Amino acid sequence: MSGTTGDLLGEDGVDGRVLRVFREVLGDEQLQLSGSTTAQDVPGWDSLAHINIMFSLESEFGVQFTDAQLTSFADVGELRGFLARAAG
Amino acid sequence: MDAVDQHGHEPRDPVARALAVVSAQQVPAQRACLDLARALSAAGDARRAVQWAFASLDAGEDFAGWLAASRVWERHRAELAPAPRRARVAVLGSYTTTQLTGLLPVACARAGVEVEVYECGYGLYRQELLDPASGLHAFAPDVVVLAVDAAEVDLPPSPADPAAAVEAELERWTSLWDLARERFGARVVHHGAVVPPDEPMGHLAARVPGSRSALLRRFSERLGEVAASPAGRGVALVDCERLASDVGKRTWSDPRYVHAAKQAVSLACVPLLARHTAAVIAAQLGASRKCLVLDLDGTLWGGVLGEVGVHGVTLGAGPAGEAFSAFQRHVLALKDKGVVLAVCSKNDEHLVRQVFAENPEMLLSLDDVAVLEASWQDKPTAVRSIAAALGVGEDALVFVDDNPAEREAVRELVPAVDVVPLPAEPAGYVAALARYPFFETDALTAEDAARTEQYRARARAAGQREAAGSLEDFLRGLGMRAHVAPLGEANTARVAQLLGKTNQFNLTTRRHSLADVQAFAADPDWHAQVVRLSDRFADHGVVGVLLAHRVPGPEGPELDVDSWLLSCRVIGRTLEDEMLGVLVAQARALGCTRLRGTYVPTAKNGQVAGLYERLGFTRAPQEDGRAGEGSTGWVLPVPEPVRTPGLVRVEVDVRPRAGAEGAAEQGAAGQDDDEVPAQRRQEEVLQ
Repeated sequence: MSGTTGDLLGEDGVDGRVLRVFREVLGDEQLQLSGSTTAQDVPGWDSLAHINIMFSLESEFGVQFTDAQLTSFADVGELRGFLARAAG
Repeated sequence: MDAVDQHGHEPRDPVARALAVVSAQQVPAQRACLDLARALSAAGDARRAVQWAFASLDAGEDFAGWLAASRVWERHRAELAPAPRRARVAVLGSYTTTQLTGLLPVACARAGVEVEVYECGYGLYRQELLDPASGLHAFAPDVVVLAVDAAEVDLPPSPADPAAAVEAELERWTSLWDLARERFGARVVHHGAVVPPDEPMGHLAARVPGSRSALLRRFSERLGEVAASPAGRGVALVDCERLASDVGKRTWSDPRYVHAAKQAVSLACVPLLARHTAAVIAAQLGASRKCLVLDLDGTLWGGVLGEVGVHGVTLGAGPAGEAFSAFQRHVLALKDKGVVLAVCSKNDEHLVRQVFAENPEMLLSLDDVAVLEASWQDKPTAVRSIAAALGVGEDALVFVDDNPAEREAVRELVPAVDVVPLPAEPAGYVAALARYPFFETDALTAEDAARTEQYRARARAAGQREAAGSLEDFLRGLGMRAHVAPLGEANTARVAQLLGKTNQFNLTTRRHSLADVQAFAADPDWHAQVVRLSDRFADHGVVGVLLAHRVPGPEGPELDVDSWLLSCRVIGRTLEDEMLGVLVAQARALGCTRLRGTYVPTAKNGQVAGLYERLGFTRAPQEDGRAGEGSTGWVLPVPEPVRTPGLVRVEVDVRPRAGAEGAAEQGAAGQDDDEVPAQRRQEEVLQ
């Protein structure tokens, strides 16, 4: 997914679903994410919010992260790439 | 309530769009309710935004959806009257309870209690209870929630004396209850243990008292016994074992999240746990609901009583009949635990009483019902009079109806009443009502079983009903559209069918055959209205028929109403007033000077005995008896265009026939909007 890092997530499709989950969990309707966004870049994205986000993404996409994945995605781009592949 | 798109296009207004989605669902989904709440929030309608945010909490357990609903409530809570009860709630957990603590305020607000919440550091609850310098002591809670999981129940593996081991562990917990009560005078809400699905002993565990499963079951049973004893006063249990069994234990707890984040209760189930914890807290504070208000047709039995008769309702036999019986049994069990029952039905009261008294399949009897409201008035008014008759607040009532439109009428006009949506299939009714959590009671007393009789006595003494505040607004908000067509090939079969089976709103009950109807269609002296009605819930199809016959009279031609009927689905929606408006326009276009009407009483059409009088007709006693025994004649000099309620948008497609002598040109002119005031006014409003 390195080719897409840096670009903003769109409002439709997989991007839109990812954005909706982040916005609902973090309570920020204006939140924008890009492929290179990491937890450090987003206010409120602490370890508890991370668990809430990962769980909510699992629900939204009907996937299960492995134990390692729960804490190991490098940035939003990598997470989005995984979900896009899972969503087929 | 002008949120409905009257033109049939995709509405541009976000509130209207969200409302349309909610209306189209038999049981509105959590997401649809939430979208509506957010649209209302953006539009600044605080009361309804919070009402729909709460509805979304009732509708599902999606965690992110709960977070979003909680924020809608947070945004608007200051604009609303605070909930009638307040409490300071401390959550003492054995696992990560931050999410539970975060959702508890909105869950409690939904249950009628404003709470302030304190979260104890996880696993530190014993210390905080014991240490007078702890944050818990500074907080001084009214309610202490022990959010503990089965892993925290400390029972040795395969003890020599399982009963003694359980008693020793029990002592450890009841001493915490005592601490909470002694230190703070707090009530205690204790989350019961969930027996894990993984049992190394397999089925043998059921026979071995020292197995982990058997020990935990025994522990839970004893915990309940102690909580129910005098020593346990003020302690309530949340039966997590039942909640986990309902959703599935592997959903209740996901080991990945237990290991990664100490989430002993999966985030998929935290909303459910918050809801039930709130319900138990509310019950402890006396905020539970007291009265179940039940619809009849389609809710307690299948079929329309007025059509199928006292012994024709679906109940007892067959898959649907058994499902309705199961639902009645569940309702009876609720009554036995102290829930007061009331009936709210659009029906003739004497028929309803007859079903209760005479249909052998009925499990509920009239004695089980504290207030019976069976009439043709609108349900919001009926629900208000039930509350008045019982002498309880509207916030004590829970309304159950299979009809989404009735549910929304009550939700909209009597917002304090809780509304439980029923699914399309009666097989799902028991679960829908059983999952409703706010009939929770703190303790069973002998009074509970006798409560219905007390309320019945109160109801008998109660006075007048209140008038419906804004029924008109509600009806306008339905976005009703009527299409009035003449008789034609497309509708004669349906018209003959309606003439053959409609009993209640039917002025003359003349059962014209299909051949008769086809003959009327071809006869230029017959003028018909075949009315289709749709609203934002459904297209109801052809629901109204009026057949009028042009006849000579002493002062010129007259229009004589031979038949006039409405399907019982659309009674009480002012459609008859609009049909009169169209009839007057027809008469004027035909050069008629008078309208004539007849009422022929039957066993079932008592509700329209007063229709002509209400519409401004006067009695014509010389006509009485002409159409059979007891029939009455009515006349109305053809007036200027009549003012109708204008709550239905009427599209008129009936043209007086070319063959009607001397009226053809006038008739064509009669199609101008000027002749149809209701339609004109509606369109002016829309432009």
